[in-house]
Amino acid sequence: MLTGSLSINGKPSNLMIIGPPLVGKTILIRNMFFEKINEGFGGIFITTRSPAEEIADWLSSQGVDDFKIIDCVSKTTMQDLPDEPKIKRLSVMDLTGITVKVNELFKEYLKDEKKVVVAFDSLSTLLMYLNEQTVLRFLHVFSSRIRTTGAVAFYIVEEGMHDEKTIAALKQLFNGVLELKDENNQRFLRYMDTSVRIDWKEFEVQDNAIVVKT
Amino acid sequence: MKIGIPVLDELLGDVPRGKTVTYLIDPEVEGDVFPLQTLYENLENGNSCALIVSSMSPEIIKNRFREFGWDIEKDSFSIVDAYSAYVGASSEEKYFVKNPADLKELDRVITRAIEENDLIVFNSLSTIIDISGEDVIEFVNGWNKYAMLNDAVIVYGFTSWPYAQEVLEKIKELSNTVISVGGIHHRVVLGHYYGILKSDWKEVKNKAVLFKLLRPGGVRAYIPKILVTGPFNSGKTTFVHSISTKAVSVDRLGTTVALDHGHVDYKGFSIDIFGTPGQERFNPVLKILGGEALGVIVVVDSTKPEDFPRAKEMLAETTRFGLPYVIAANKQDIDGCLSPEEIKRKMNLPDDAVVVPMSARSKEGVYDVLDALLNLLIGG
Repeated sequence: MLTGSLSINGKPSNLMIIGPPLVGKTILIRNMFFEKINEGFGGIFITTRSPAEEIADWLSSQGVDDFKIIDCVSKTTMQDLPDEPKIKRLSVMDLTGITVKVNELFKEYLKDEKKVVVAFDSLSTLLMYLNEQTVLRFLHVFSSRIRTTGAVAFYIVEEGMHDEKTIAALKQLFNGVLELKDENNQRFLRYMDTSVRIDWKEFEVQDNAIVVKT
Repeated sequence: MKIGIPVLDELLGDVPRGKTVTYLIDPEVEGDVFPLQTLYENLENGNSCALIVSSMSPEIIKNRFREFGWDIEKDSFSIVDAYSAYVGASSEEKYFVKNPADLKELDRVITRAIEENDLIVFNSLSTIIDISGEDVIEFVNGWNKYAMLNDAVIVYGFTSWPYAQEVLEKIKELSNTVISVGGIHHRVVLGHYYGILKSDWKEVKNKAVLFKLLRPGGVRAYIPKILVTGPFNSGKTTFVHSISTKAVSVDRLGTTVALDHGHVDYKGFSIDIFGTPGQERFNPVLKILGGEALGVIVVVDSTKPEDFPRAKEMLAETTRFGLPYVIAANKQDIDGCLSPEEIKRKMNLPDDAVVVPMSARSKEGVYDVLDALLNLLIGG
């Protein structure tokens, strides 16, 4: 699968996935998240876009079970749905709520001696509702917690929605970047961190999976 | 007016009219309950209270009260809705801010709320700063003065994200009393505490109170527990006794078969210390203490390296619970004892493990052990 063939698996603790709309970021992050759970990680998926139920159904259909979803969609849009065993709901403006909830889940997984993977889809929604400084302050706290717990986290950022200063500031907080692009109906990705650089590779989306061409 | 939080009520007494109280809350701690609890307590006492909501919908915050078993369905309770318009929704609340990013409008609505209520509680002042910028601080100054004129009390919930130092200083300066709500970080947030940073109507001593949130019930204080363990005859009981202001042991023929129990007031913490018998696994003890155990001290006899494997085993048990630990290298007053570095090497401990030399018998270094553990827990 993708992360394996790119041999970046598990290296960066905080990985940013950036690309234009519809290039396949969401499918990518779900696959990466799924793979980690399949390896024995406990998963926390924070969604600000897709309904939590849809993500839960998809993960269950792939045969994994050890995950929790933080739903930042329903409460933001004023629907007051109750929590479910696998789904915790918060407003996207309630950043403290998010850090507190993630910490609680960390604690539970730690008791079971599990490593944790976090997926965040997407930071762009946060930046839409809150100002940049607020989001950066939040991410500063959040990404340090990811590092100290030895977890891995993937964050989606929409390309073209934010100015370059914001993107540069975000990159500062993360220690790896996976970039996606679309050219003449072909899709490419490349990866970069302080020690590894993988140049553009073509990939395809097949049946909800990402296939990198060799 | 009351604070409505255990221990703080005794330390601070009544909140005089015209004063402001700020809860400075660690971003990783569920501290938003504090301002809500203060509101509920005073609502119950017959005061009219307004809650300024800026980070979640009024419905969600009402459910938050219900979660803790607090009935707020009273005519004397109202909400200043500075959220709904932000997500494009309408509002049925008594006070509605049609454009929360417009500070002038927000100011008009809040001013009216101050005139019409005894207590004004901000669920999250930091969110308002996040939305409208640091200019809000000037308005805070104005609201505080207006509250003084109207004999009202203002309570702010403020999440201490890494803001510029001036912002935090200014917020503290503008409040009559500042209560910090913090977390004990060790890989994850292990426990929570609160304490008074300043108060201008009561002289306060440095005191940290650990708390849990009960649903229903709200903030409840508890006494932190530290476990002392170690191989047979390493000096656990002597250590518990030498560090405690009062201690009891249940023992037979000089060895502890049940439990040592001590208590110490140290650096504002009131701590219970439990010594476990060396010949048993302390798993069951940890279970009994539940989530209230905060850390572990493993006592080793520095003259008996043959016992180190057993100590290592006991250590593995504690780290399984994610608890921080300190190795107390006992019997440092005996000739031929191993140095902390040698012990670290022989036990094959990670580089960041803390080994503190001490003698439980002469009491030399026993508080260094406690300091080292507290340092791990709250960073000094």
